[in-house]
Amino acid sequence: MDIFSNMAIGFSTALTFTNLFYCFIGVFLGMLVGVIPGIGVLSAITMLFPITFYLEPTTALIMLAGIWYGTGYGGRTASILLNIPGTIANAVTCLDGYPMTKQGRGGVALFMTTVASFVGGSIGIIILMLFAPVIARYALSFGSAEYFSLMLLGLVAASTISEGSAIKALAMVVLGIMFGCIGADIYTGTPRFSFGLLELTDQLSLIALAMGMFGVAEVIATVGKIEVGDVGKTNVSMSAMKPTRDEVRRSWFPMLRGSSLGAFFGTLPGTGPSVASFMSYALEKRVSSEPQRFGKGAIEGIMSPEAADNSAEMTSFIPTLSLGIPGSPTMALMLGALMIHGIAPGPSLMTEQPSLFWGLIMSFWIGNVILVILNVPLIGIWVRLLTIPYHLLYPAVLLFICVGTYSVNTSSFDLWIVAFFGFFGYMMRMLDWPAAPLLLGFVLGPLMEEHFRRAMLLSRGDFATFLDRPISATVISITAALLVWGIWSALRARRIANQAAMEQATTG
Amino acid sequence: MLTRDYRDIIGGALLIIGGIAFSWYAAHQYDLGSLRRMGPGMFPMALGLVLAVFGLMMMVPAFFRAGTMPEIRIWSPLFVLSSVVAFGLLIRSFGLVPATLAVTIISSMAELRIRPASLALLCVSLCLIAWLTFKVGLGMPVHMFRWPF
Repeated sequence: MDIFSNMAIGFSTALTFTNLFYCFIGVFLGMLVGVIPGIGVLSAITMLFPITFYLEPTTALIMLAGIWYGTGYGGRTASILLNIPGTIANAVTCLDGYPMTKQGRGGVALFMTTVASFVGGSIGIIILMLFAPVIARYALSFGSAEYFSLMLLGLVAASTISEGSAIKALAMVVLGIMFGCIGADIYTGTPRFSFGLLELTDQLSLIALAMGMFGVAEVIATVGKIEVGDVGKTNVSMSAMKPTRDEVRRSWFPMLRGSSLGAFFGTLPGTGPSVASFMSYALEKRVSSEPQRFGKGAIEGIMSPEAADNSAEMTSFIPTLSLGIPGSPTMALMLGALMIHGIAPGPSLMTEQPSLFWGLIMSFWIGNVILVILNVPLIGIWVRLLTIPYHLLYPAVLLFICVGTYSVNTSSFDLWIVAFFGFFGYMMRMLDWPAAPLLLGFVLGPLMEEHFRRAMLLSRGDFATFLDRPISATVISITAALLVWGIWSALRARRIANQAAMEQATTG
Repeated sequence: MLTRDYRDIIGGALLIIGGIAFSWYAAHQYDLGSLRRMGPGMFPMALGLVLAVFGLMMMVPAFFRAGTMPEIRIWSPLFVLSSVVAFGLLIRSFGLVPATLAVTIISSMAELRIRPASLALLCVSLCLIAWLTFKVGLGMPVHMFRWPF
């Protein structure tokens, strides 16, 4: 089948009334959550996850995905107007977006980043359409050794490439896999770490864990810390959005560079939009002929990260849909939605469920167009949303978390899990432990154990099986190289910091 | 600034203790099996040891560098967490409206100041939203009010 007949299948699925409606709901909610600082995309998806039980799997995925890329559009609003990042991936947009607002160019910044988001998103979708089928075809020949190696690569990549200490991130991955061990053993059925509790003979609920660690912990950390900003002065009428010819000319290449960088980082398991946007900002600053303009309202500094952010959001579906390996906690929740409906994610998804696969991808086009409409003529409404005080917002968030968790199993036990992980998540913030690797480890852990044990069984207890098979060996060596690079750069960073401290001590 | 990075020393120590305890428990409670045919205990035991090693790698360098301590809040987390627990206690036997009120009122205290008027308004609107979304919109099988006695 060629790509056009696939597109036709996709559009015929995506253009039904139900799917269009939920696509709209998804991107609308994503936009909403993105605009309001203090609610992350993960909390939003987990809060709405229970709704998807009532929907067809295709519709459910279209809605969840809409929330995911909708936040990419919404997140920059607060970054540009208030200097508060709406989501982590948009933090870097503050650097040049807020100075533009102070110069009275806020409307232009909002308009141009909408364009950047759309271009980035489109390039991401095209790459997704071209590469996902190819990778899935290869993946059909993968055995347990390959799957284990790929998941290991994903976890190590997530820990070493993202900002912060690689050791801490790796430790959190392991801790996550440990939480994933709770429940019945896959091969023998022995309940592990259940401590005699009937509820713990099943796996811990992913929803409860994510709601506690991201939703509740986020509320705890933000309560009483966010002040409502003054956005009344920014002019967001259509005429105030018109960029100058110079600004348009400066935007082209940053937008394309950002999109390609984002597409690349999105595909790697474990890295996502936030890494992509930070990297593209750094790249723009390096290739610019006048780097001193950055941080003072340079339009290149907002175009490239926003394009990268949206492009990475699209391409992060490549490993998820073609291999069944989620590259981020959000993607793990998407796979969870599939599995609840009894659909096994993996390379055969595309051939067995073509209308789901292509319908989802084609809905991205529709969603991106809806988002542009929501963003350009209707931006004033979103700006006004920023004036809702947080003290009215967070009880509502907590309520949705509680009802959402309860509705999954109608069990109060899941709420104790939410409270436990809320506490644990707050403790992790105090200790400066990153939470995303833990969730990734929790999701991938049971799969890794299964493939590891099966690979070892097939090789009669010989570890060499991971190095004998060529694809597995390649992946393992990339993983090893990443680990070495991570440790080396951590050591170098410390030496530079020490030198700086010494110099300060001698001069001051 | 502190002379040592106590945050990472404490964190590393917790990981070492947790990892070793997990490993020990797995090795004693469950069958380890062999490398070829692994039992339920093997994988968790190895994980615990790896975690302890990472904990050590986190802790040792922290002795030789300066660090900061975060501000630890007690009341705000307590109110937020109790509101979740209160919801869990009330939802099954008393219904959605009492549970919603409990979440709203208890969690509002996490701001450590009371705004009676806006709190009352919030209570009413959240009960309405909960009823409209979950009962009317999604048709969830929950009671709005219930009296268990």
